[in-house]
Amino acid sequence: MLTSLHIEGDSLLHRLPVRAKLIALVTLSILLFLSSSLAVQAIAFVAAAGLYLSVGLPLREALKRVGFVFLTIFFLAAVNLFLLPVLDVATLTLRLMALVLFAAAVTATTTISAFMDEITVLLTPLERLGWLRAADVSLALGLVLRFVPDIFARYQAIREAHRARGLPVRPLTIIGPLIILTLKDADTIAAAIDARGFRRQ
Amino acid sequence: MDIRFTDCAVRFGERVALHPLTLTLSEKRIGIIGLNGSGKTTFARLINGLVKPTTGRVTVNGLNTVDDDRAVLSEAGFIFQNPQHQLIMPVVAEDIAFGLKNRGHSREDIDRRMQAALTRFGIEHLARRRVHELSGGETQLVAMASVVVTDPKILILDEPTNQLDLKNRRRVAETIESLPEDTVVITHDLALVENVDRLLLFHEGRLAGDGNPDETIRLYHEIAGC
Repeated sequence: MLTSLHIEGDSLLHRLPVRAKLIALVTLSILLFLSSSLAVQAIAFVAAAGLYLSVGLPLREALKRVGFVFLTIFFLAAVNLFLLPVLDVATLTLRLMALVLFAAAVTATTTISAFMDEITVLLTPLERLGWLRAADVSLALGLVLRFVPDIFARYQAIREAHRARGLPVRPLTIIGPLIILTLKDADTIAAAIDARGFRRQ
Repeated sequence: MDIRFTDCAVRFGERVALHPLTLTLSEKRIGIIGLNGSGKTTFARLINGLVKPTTGRVTVNGLNTVDDDRAVLSEAGFIFQNPQHQLIMPVVAEDIAFGLKNRGHSREDIDRRMQAALTRFGIEHLARRRVHELSGGETQLVAMASVVVTDPKILILDEPTNQLDLKNRRRVAETIESLPEDTVVITHDLALVENVDRLLLFHEGRLAGDGNPDETIRLYHEIAGC
């Protein structure tokens, strides 16, 4: 679950300010995409892996978190083997894996609240231009992360209800009630946000 | 508390949710009961401005819920029927801090108040827990802490013991009893309002009973036919 990604700890990454971590992530992404050297990608991969494993996650949990994305990358690599030289595929694969590991390390060491605060600060210039309300954007991000488990739990409840009634579990028959229930809850959540004084800002 | 409803009515489209009502609430502990769809929650939501009156006016400690809606939200905290809906942040401590951050408190002040709220509700051990992993009783206590931390003078609790098991129900009920704030409790749990100072009964959008708990609960049984 997305909301479970942050872990308590006192590693170097935990202590770094959120802004520094985000800037480092963006800079690393740009540099790795500018480089086509396999050696550079390999070094970045090893460094990112070391960093990720140093944040305090148990190995099994650490692998579980990035496993699905890695599988997707491997699938992409397998397809590319038919189109590109092996060296290029290896470079591409290591680059993506390094970035995923670094991003996972940043996510594991940053709370949603800290992310939201930083996004609010970063978007403030756009707010001054009258384009958006920075706090609204960061709240929207926080709400997505907060309510993903709730939506997932509701999906499971609807699926179980189908089974209990002997109905076949089909995506189309689940999505309808899921959307209706989610929208219904959204009204209450919006009222709760108002009740807690969010729009005072 | 000083809550005044003056010729106040609420309509949702063609449906009348609350018929015109004039009433003053000044007691410390107020209970609200009634059958499903009787207008209880609409009435309670009028108090902190979540629902605006279609006609008439509502004032809370002298503040109009339409003109002074932001101030009214500070004055009257609302705890929702499903407290999971009002926990906005993924971690308990972050959620309790949420309301304070919105009000511009300093980091030190937020930490101090948050710690005090956690201690007050006996939930210090939940500070780092994720809100979607809490039990029903824990969720209710966290929701109360997250509202109380901003120092509202009045607390409105909408069916606070709904869906709680006996043990959690008792814990939440004792916590509500011990709250120093003025409270308005909407509930189907009659034991929760046995000792309130004043009990209101709603039926079909009208105030059908208003008095001490014994009389009002007896009237409720008559209306419900059981």
